[in-house]
Parts: sequence; structure tokens; C-alpha cells
Amino acid sequence: MLNLLAQSTLPPFSVEGGSQQAYQMIAITLIAGFAIMAGLMFAPTKLRRPIAVSVTFLAGFYYVLLWAWPKPVELATSEKPLNQTEAIGRWITDALPGVSSISQTLAALLLGLGVYSVLRLHSTRLMKKQKDWLFSLVLLISMFTMVGVGYADYNQVIADPTKASPSGWGPMQYAKDFLFDGMLQSMDAAMFSIIAFFILFAAYRAFRIRSVESTVLLGTALIVMFSLMGLVEYASKNAIDSMTGGDPGHFLNNFALSEVRDWIQRNVQGPGIQALAWGIGIGSLSMGLRLWLSLEKSGGN
Amino acid sequence: MQYYDTGWVGVAVVIMLVSFVLYNIRRARKSDGQVYIRRIPGLNAIDEAIGRATEMGRPVLMVPGLGALNAISVQALNIFGHVSATAARFATPIRLCCGNAAVYTVAQEIISEVYQKEGYSDRFDQDSVRFVSDRQFAFATGVSGLILREKVAAAFLLGEFFAESLIFAETANSIGAIQVAGSTSNTQTPFFIAACDYVLIGDEFYAASAYLTREPVLTGALVGQDWIKMTMIGAVLLGSVVTTTEMISGKQTSEEIATPAPVTEKADWSPGTTTTYEWKPLTEPRTKTRRELLTNRIFSPKAPDKPQRELEPEAAAAAPPTEGGTE
Repeated sequence: MLNLLAQSTLPPFSVEGGSQQAYQMIAITLIAGFAIMAGLMFAPTKLRRPIAVSVTFLAGFYYVLLWAWPKPVELATSEKPLNQTEAIGRWITDALPGVSSISQTLAALLLGLGVYSVLRLHSTRLMKKQKDWLFSLVLLISMFTMVGVGYADYNQVIADPTKASPSGWGPMQYAKDFLFDGMLQSMDAAMFSIIAFFILFAAYRAFRIRSVESTVLLGTALIVMFSLMGLVEYASKNAIDSMTGGDPGHFLNNFALSEVRDWIQRNVQGPGIQALAWGIGIGSLSMGLRLWLSLEKSGGN
Repeated sequence: MQYYDTGWVGVAVVIMLVSFVLYNIRRARKSDGQVYIRRIPGLNAIDEAIGRATEMGRPVLMVPGLGALNAISVQALNIFGHVSATAARFATPIRLCCGNAAVYTVAQEIISEVYQKEGYSDRFDQDSVRFVSDRQFAFATGVSGLILREKVAAAFLLGEFFAESLIFAETANSIGAIQVAGSTSNTQTPFFIAACDYVLIGDEFYAASAYLTREPVLTGALVGQDWIKMTMIGAVLLGSVVTTTEMISGKQTSEEIATPAPVTEKADWSPGTTTTYEWKPLTEPRTKTRRELLTNRIFSPKAPDKPQRELEPEAAAAAPPTEGGTE
């Protein structure tokens, strides 16, 4: 059987894959999951919100505890905690991989819904022969081929580890290499390279003199761009040196292109970015608080 | 001089900041959220963009970025909820493309609920909210293809974007779509500014839902955020004054010497450490170094000593016998 849940190191609160305890835990989790779902479905409407609010609060509370609870100083796994505070601190830290895996499991389940969305959208277009149905056909064929080849390759490499290296490759490994590295990665790189041209077009529009602000932007951008060109920077340094006679303490040295660029980056760009980051951080704090305490109402109303 | 325990300073500061937000939410609830919020052009343009799409009979595109389901995505979906409500009233088609399956699931719930609330459930097309791909450039290609094929009239690019931001913005610009963009990423905001019509910069993104809905909880939180900013500005100014004064006039007359020593008082226990701190007078007073300044000391605690701890039975059995013990 495929070891789909293989992990390099076993985190705390986990059991050995394939052991009887693991199967027991899977069964208990499934039963508990179905019980929770059934409980939620049959719960009175009035109770649903308090349940959701409680679950959200508890989920967030763990991370609050993780941040605020005093951390034991250099507590090794071979040592016993000194007191209750250290014991709880260790328990909170050890639970982190387990708690994180809950969100990973949820994300994996939700990916299924995403794939279902893609399948429904494109199969409908294909069935009804709507506009651009040929693209949908190509998408579905590519999707199934990649899934099939990838899964077969994975199976074969697990059964015969020599197939992991190119010297032991079979037809399925070549097919996977062609589809993934040969096609998908190349197309990714092609899309990425388009950005270079888009930057040029966007910069052309942004750096036109339309207002005082755009003129300042243009001037600043030119200084930074020129200062990064070796030849221009060299010429600017030479010009300054000829005026100052090579005196490093001369006032005019402040006007060398690299000095002006450093000044802009240190005193204009840096603080600007830090101020933005501060605002965003405070916004995130407030948003997180509203979500954690279920004060946020979604839906634009 | 004993340093402050900055662990508690940090926690206390965060509790204070959190209490600002909660207090103002409570205050706004009492006063029905009537607070002044300055004009944000990007958000005023939403109705204009949807109106244009309605006149042209073309769809409105919304992209919450590639980020996972977090505060940024939820905020983007909140704004999209407002956009969808307006689009539902005018029967303007919408397209919401997701690059994360969890965001897709939540987006579908939110948008469907919005159409229900507006009383136009029949106008909601399940395929208008779609999952494209969680692979960055596959997502970029899919969304760009949709922009070009369906010739969207307005594009709302709000959320967590990476290198694909400029691909969306430039593609939408090439077909003349009105673009409203906003990202919390400092590296992508300049691209949006260069390529889009309206951009929500920095925390304007988080202020958007309060601006659009005027809901007391949201406006209260916004006021709380302003209180936090004022406090921080005050702290920065105070810190600057204290540091400058200390650097100019403060002289260091002694320096602290830390002497760490191992502790093995209890046999069969793991060894610990203890550090003794001693103030040694300087022969000549000198200017304070950066580490000796008050502002630095407040936020740089001394490393705590490792206490001696009893070993777990297996570790104790495996450990070599140690010399003597005072117990």
C-alpha cells in the first residue's frame, strides 16, 4: 500500500504510520468528524452561530497562548519541566505541528472542491459546445494526463527506488519529466519573462510628466537607475573628484550619484516602506482581532 | 542597573493596543458608528467601474490574489462582497477567480449570500466564482486569458499578489478596463501604481470595508487603529528625544560584566547555568554605546539562565554518573 502520509520526522501527538494505533486514531477521528457534522446539521439554527464562534475562538486562542505563554528556557526533551508553567509551555509548543496539520488537512480537502470547480466549469462548456470549448478540452486532457502520469511515476518510484535517478528511468519517468520539467516549467518561465516587457510598458506610462508628483517620481527614478549603471556612476564620481581635488571631506562629495541614491533609499524609501508596513501591521492586528472574536460580518453588508 | 523584562513589556504593549481597538468598537456601537473617514478615491471608483461594466454589458473581474485564507484574503472578499452587491442590483455579470481552494470555498459562500441578501438569488451564476489554479503562473495565464476572452470592463485586484500582479494589471489595461487594485505587499504596490487607475495603498486596504459599509464594528476598529498610530508616533518621538539626549549628554561611568557559571548542585539532574552581573567602574567616563542606551535596554532583555532540571527516567539511566550533589 502506498505510504501517502509519509513524514520525515514524527511530530508529537502523532503515531507510527500503518500501526494499529494509527488505524484506531483514523477511525476515532472519522467517527468524531461525522458526529460533529451531524451535530452541526441537526443543531437548532440559533445554536449554530455560538458553535462557530466558540470553535473560532478556541482555534485562535491556541495561537494567542503560543505567543503569550512564557517559554521554558532551553527545555530539552530529556528533561522534566520544573513546574506547571513550564509543563504547559512545553505542551503548547509540542502541539504546534498537530494544530498546524489540522489547517493543512482542511486545505487538502478544500483542494478537492477547487478541482471539482474546474471540472464542472470545463466539462459543462465541453458538453454544451460553448464558445472556446476546445480550450476546455485541452485543459481537461492535460489535467488528467498530468495526474495519471504523476501518480504512476510516484507509484513506480516507491516500488523501485532506483527509478528516482535518471539512470534508472522508465517510460513513465520520461513522460513525467517531459510534461512537468519540459512543458509546465517552461511555460511558467515564459509567463514570468513576459513581466520584463510589462515593466517597461508600465514604467513608460508611470514616468510621464503629468503632474508635480509624477515629475518627482520620474526624477527620483532616474537618479536611482543611473546610479546603478556602472559607467554613469563612474563618470559622476570622476566629475566630483575633479571638482573636489580628491578631498574625501569636501562638501561636494555629498552630490555624488551613489551618495544621493543612498540618501534617497535611507531617508525617503526606507522610512516610507516602514510606515506602510506599520499601517499594514496595525490593520492586520485589528482584522485578526475582529475575526478571532467573530466581530466581522462578511458579505459586504 | 537591572534590565526590564521585555517579554512582559511586549505583551503589555500588545494588550494596550488591542484594548484601543476593542474600546473603540464598543464606543462606535453606542454611537452607531458615525465617524468621519477621509475620502479614498479607489473606493469611490467602485460604483463608477460597475456602472461602466453595466453600460458595456461586460463582466466585472475580481481577483483576491494567490494568498491562503488569511486576514488579507478575508478583507479582499469583504470588499468583493460589496462589489457583488452593487453588481447584483444592476444584473452585471461578475467573475471572481481564486488561486487558493480555501479562498474559493469561502468566496462562493460569501458571494452567494450577497446575492440572496440583495434578493437576486436567480442572478447568481455558480460558475462566476471559480478556482483557476494554485500554481502561480498557471493562475496568471488563466486569469489573463479570461480578461482577454471576456473583455472585462472593470478589474478589482485586491489581496495578496506576487509577480503575477503586473501581468493582470497590464493585460486588463491593454483592453481598457478600469482597474482598482490594492495589495499589502510593498513590492507589488509600485507595479499597481504604475499600471492601474486607482490603488489602495498600505492600510487603506484594511479601511476599505469600514469606508464602504460604515458598520460600527468596522469604523470603531478604524478609530482604534488611529489611536494605535498616534501612540506609536508619540513613542517614536519620545524615544528620539530620550536617545538623542542620552547620546549627547549621558556619560557611562561604569560597565556591567556578566560572568556565566555552570550549575551542577543536584546530582542526576541536567546542568544549568547562572550568570552574575557586576558593575565595574570605568577609569574614564565615556559616551554611551548603542547597547547602553535606555531605548535599547528596554527592548533587549538579558538572556535568562538555564535552570537545572530533573532528567526523564530514560535519560537519567543513560547519563554518566555525576560528581556529588548538595541534596
